[in-house]
Amino acid sequence: SQKSVSFEEQTYGIRLTGIVQGVGFRPFVYQLAHEWGLTGTVSNGPEGVKVVLTTDLTTANRFLETLLANTPPQALVEKYELESLPFCSFQTFKIIESQAGKLTNGLKLTPDFAMCSSCRAELHDPQNRRFRYPFITCTQCGPRYSIQRAVPYDRAQTTMQVFEMCPACLDEYNDPNHRRFYSQTNSCPTCGIQLGWYTCRQATAYSSSFLHDTHWILDRAHRALKAGKIVAVKGIGGYLLLCDATHESAVATLRERKHRPTKPFAVLYPTLDVLQREATVGDQESDALLSSVAPIVLVRPHKTTSIAPSVNPGLAHLGVMLPYAPLLELLAHDFGKPLVATSGNRSGSPIIFKDADALTELSQVADFILTHNREIVLPQDDSVLRFSPFYAKQIVLRRSRGLTGSVNATGLTSTTSIQLSFGASQKSTFTLLAADNLHTSQYLGDLEDWETQTHFKHTLQHLVKVFDVEPNRFSADAHQGYFSTQLAHEWAKATKSTLQKIQHHVAHFAAVLAEHRLPSSPEPIAGIVWDGTGLGSDGHSWGGEFFLYFPNPSRPLGENIERIAYFEYFDSLAGDKMAVEPRLSAFSLLFPEKEELINNKFSEKERSFYAKLLAKNTLKTSSVGRLFDAVASLLIGIDKTSYEGEAALQLEELAERYFLKHRLLVTQYYSLKNLNYRFIPSKELLEAIAEDVLTGVPVDEIAAKFHVTLVKIIEKFTQETGVQKVAFSGGVFQNALLVDLCIAVLGDTHELFFHQQFSPNDECVSFGQAVLTP
Amino acid sequence: LGHGSGGILTNQLLESGVFDLLKNPLLDEHHDGAMFEWSGRTAFSTDSYVISPIFFPGGNIGELAVNGTVNDLAMCGAVPKYLSLSFILEEGLTMKEFWELLVSIRRAAEKAGVSIVTGDTKVVERGKGDKIFINTSGLGNIHPQAHISTKNVRAGDKIIVSGSIATHGIAIMSVREGLEFETTLTSDSAPLNHTVKALLDEFGADIHLLKDPTRGGVASVLNEVARDSRLGVNLFQQPIPVLEEVRGACELLGLDPLYVANEGVFMAFVPAEKAEEIVQKLRTLEYGQDAAIIGEVTTEHPKQVVLHSRIGGKRVVNMLVGEQLPRIC
Ligand SMILES: [Fe+3]
Ligand SMILES: [Mg+2]
Ligand SMILES: [Zn+2]
Ligand SMILES: [Zn+2]
Repeated sequence: SQKSVSFEEQTYGIRLTGIVQGVGFRPFVYQLAHEWGLTGTVSNGPEGVKVVLTTDLTTANRFLETLLANTPPQALVEKYELESLPFCSFQTFKIIESQAGKLTNGLKLTPDFAMCSSCRAELHDPQNRRFRYPFITCTQCGPRYSIQRAVPYDRAQTTMQVFEMCPACLDEYNDPNHRRFYSQTNSCPTCGIQLGWYTCRQATAYSSSFLHDTHWILDRAHRALKAGKIVAVKGIGGYLLLCDATHESAVATLRERKHRPTKPFAVLYPTLDVLQREATVGDQESDALLSSVAPIVLVRPHKTTSIAPSVNPGLAHLGVMLPYAPLLELLAHDFGKPLVATSGNRSGSPIIFKDADALTELSQVADFILTHNREIVLPQDDSVLRFSPFYAKQIVLRRSRGLTGSVNATGLTSTTSIQLSFGASQKSTFTLLAADNLHTSQYLGDLEDWETQTHFKHTLQHLVKVFDVEPNRFSADAHQGYFSTQLAHEWAKATKSTLQKIQHHVAHFAAVLAEHRLPSSPEPIAGIVWDGTGLGSDGHSWGGEFFLYFPNPSRPLGENIERIAYFEYFDSLAGDKMAVEPRLSAFSLLFPEKEELINNKFSEKERSFYAKLLAKNTLKTSSVGRLFDAVASLLIGIDKTSYEGEAALQLEELAERYFLKHRLLVTQYYSLKNLNYRFIPSKELLEAIAEDVLTGVPVDEIAAKFHVTLVKIIEKFTQETGVQKVAFSGGVFQNALLVDLCIAVLGDTHELFFHQQFSPNDECVSFGQAVLTP
Repeated sequence: LGHGSGGILTNQLLESGVFDLLKNPLLDEHHDGAMFEWSGRTAFSTDSYVISPIFFPGGNIGELAVNGTVNDLAMCGAVPKYLSLSFILEEGLTMKEFWELLVSIRRAAEKAGVSIVTGDTKVVERGKGDKIFINTSGLGNIHPQAHISTKNVRAGDKIIVSGSIATHGIAIMSVREGLEFETTLTSDSAPLNHTVKALLDEFGADIHLLKDPTRGGVASVLNEVARDSRLGVNLFQQPIPVLEEVRGACELLGLDPLYVANEGVFMAFVPAEKAEEIVQKLRTLEYGQDAAIIGEVTTEHPKQVVLHSRIGGKRVVNMLVGEQLPRIC
């Protein structure tokens, strides 16, 4: 025991906030206090964890230091404070009842954690009482965010509430020496969650069954997957659709029923070993796969992969994951081979998480439904990460399960108002900013879809309720046609507040600035914001923007951002259609100068029609996304796409192929004679590419030169403006090769800032809006 | 038309005898206004017509000006009887063009069974108009069996369109943009009053609401009804009648046919149990051959119009905000 000799015993309170609930914090404090022989209490409250000790000041301070130095692995203390309280004498040290109240002081909602290795070992141990129990958890793992109804985090506030612990579980729960001491999700085969199994026939699920035992059901699922059937499985964030990833016709059936012709599916591997036999997996990739986030990670399968071609048609990359929930572990383990694991929905709609919806909707896609009776409150898709091929830079492609709930707001929140920012449209998120809480929702999907709109509203209502706040300041995109903007109008109107409209790319730039706490930087910062489209303040469709941030603390952030240059405008043809038909971008940029390269992409009729349309067209664009489309259409012949980003992805892979052969050489690029920091000649670039195509330069080389040229354009901009710091945002920077080339070309001479915890795509827009709203 | 001050020209025009085309006893009295006996429940409507080009495949602005107001009256459940007709002419419009318009106006009025009983003509300087603007107002008696009101719309009501949609808008666009499509499309501009009257004769108050989806198309009408009734609309993509050429043109242009203007089409909100019968009846009537049930009113998502796509997805059909700006990032 380390109890110091005290002169003056006093009562002290320690408040800790950040990610401190649902991570085993109270048991940790309890154990430490007992080791030290201290008396007092620990509890969860609306602001985090509160420790009360009666001891001398020196001991209290040392206790706090020790606490901070040894926090549980999943915990993240953002703030702490030691205060003295009125004297109170305690007999012992106890965990006491949580205190409810308003969440105002920086507490973060804890994300869901992938199954830990201790639980995995127990799951496969025939001697263990939780052998093959699909809902094994402990203080270090299991669902949190997806099952939490309110704060503070306690079983009664989660959907575990309906399950009453059996004596054996209760014993663990109350045993300070057990790793399930105070584990809120504790359960076992005797008292816990039950599986259900449905057979789907003619679009209705029938033979409802919670009657069969786990072993019978898992065996059925196993046999169904073996037979090439599709099984819908209720996971952590919602239902997943599983089928044999090596079974071409099973995958093709899934594509057909899901109405998803070519967009790649993610694959669930039983173990890292099996994955490594089939694909190149770098250290960063395997670390991510094995982390408590357990996202989908993009890897490069070997030529000999067992994966059916229609899983990721035409692509060199494959999204893979490892079992993050015990139920998935059992299914994948029994099956032994890779399984397609895609979110349970119709393509374009949000993931299904309610059992009733699964039975009506998924019965049209799946042959069987494997469900269970623990309710999901907040649905989430699987997060998706990738690492750049040469510098292994992490890029978030989708921020969702395991990553949500953990925005560090330190240094960002000065406002006393409660802010709600509504984000963009296609990759929607919202951000709630209240005092020290900054919560950016998970990826919520494409708001053109009605169900996604409902999902967006549901998640928004839920989080506003969890945080128990009344937002009174609102911001949204300047595009009036976005559902998010219209919803923002309704909220603003209901509270009689004004709605701040924020230009799309300015929001992108602000997001990356804020993520790196750059607004306080004394030097100017270049903002390279490239994406598909966003409404510009001149009414045109922007997407290839060069900003400068001139620090001036006396003015609001937004006023210090100036648009300096943009890709030379070209015609934005036929509205939304341009984004799904890359050939239209090629047409817009190359007609009539390089007609011979585009003529075969159109019928006679279409050609004369688009020529006329082009002549009268008024809407212009600076979109780099559309530039990628045009080049992909020229080099690969992708004229129409079936999923967003398809053309850019294929073009990136083409260029990557070149660099993998030739190392990351950056000597070849197009030198554009009209290029300067104020003018970025889109047409000249495209014509140079067209010239190469006509002279028979290999397409992978052209793709490579195109990528390098883009980076050279940035270099020119920074050279001429003399800016040392460069921040990047926008969907184009999901391109890992482009990120690597930026690092290769600019890394030595400039300080580069890419998104880290957010995605560069529109998921970051609500965050940017929030930090821009004064 | 010549140059000079409006007054002189107008007089010349009046004396030229072109207006004799529109001859009828009330107009012939040359009073400052038409004078007649009138009684009963009445619908009264006005609209101004501004369109470029003024001649388009399948019609022209004159015919449109008559049909438009006739249809607006029909949508009130009225039988149109009298129209007023006012022109604002821009210098430069040729006498031949004007005369052609008057001929179609007369023909359209005859077809609709309405009389033009009062009118006015002004000429403005070149650059102050767009060749010709027309205003028509109309009076009609409400059909004794009709009871048309947004207030009558109930959850469960089916929504019928009387014919293929988007044809007019695409026909106009094909000329205006100088775009030729597979077959030359013609506007479906038509007087709908006879068709509507036939429906009212047979189904009376079961026709809860009538709407003509002109500017803003079917989408705008449905959004207005959803907003005003505080009910939702489910729209089904599969049965929505669109001519193949129109569908192709929309596809090329990147336009959604739901937002494209119509002139010879109306929508009816009717009780579910009568819907099929009403569609059958419509299909026997002029301008009703392509009639179909395309949606229903619901309590599910108040004030929202949700389109159920062929493959089962659900998309929100918004009120059109400005022009169709790209949203895809
Ligand atoms: Fe964007
Ligand atoms: Mg009208
Ligand atoms: Zn565990
Ligand atoms: Zn138990």
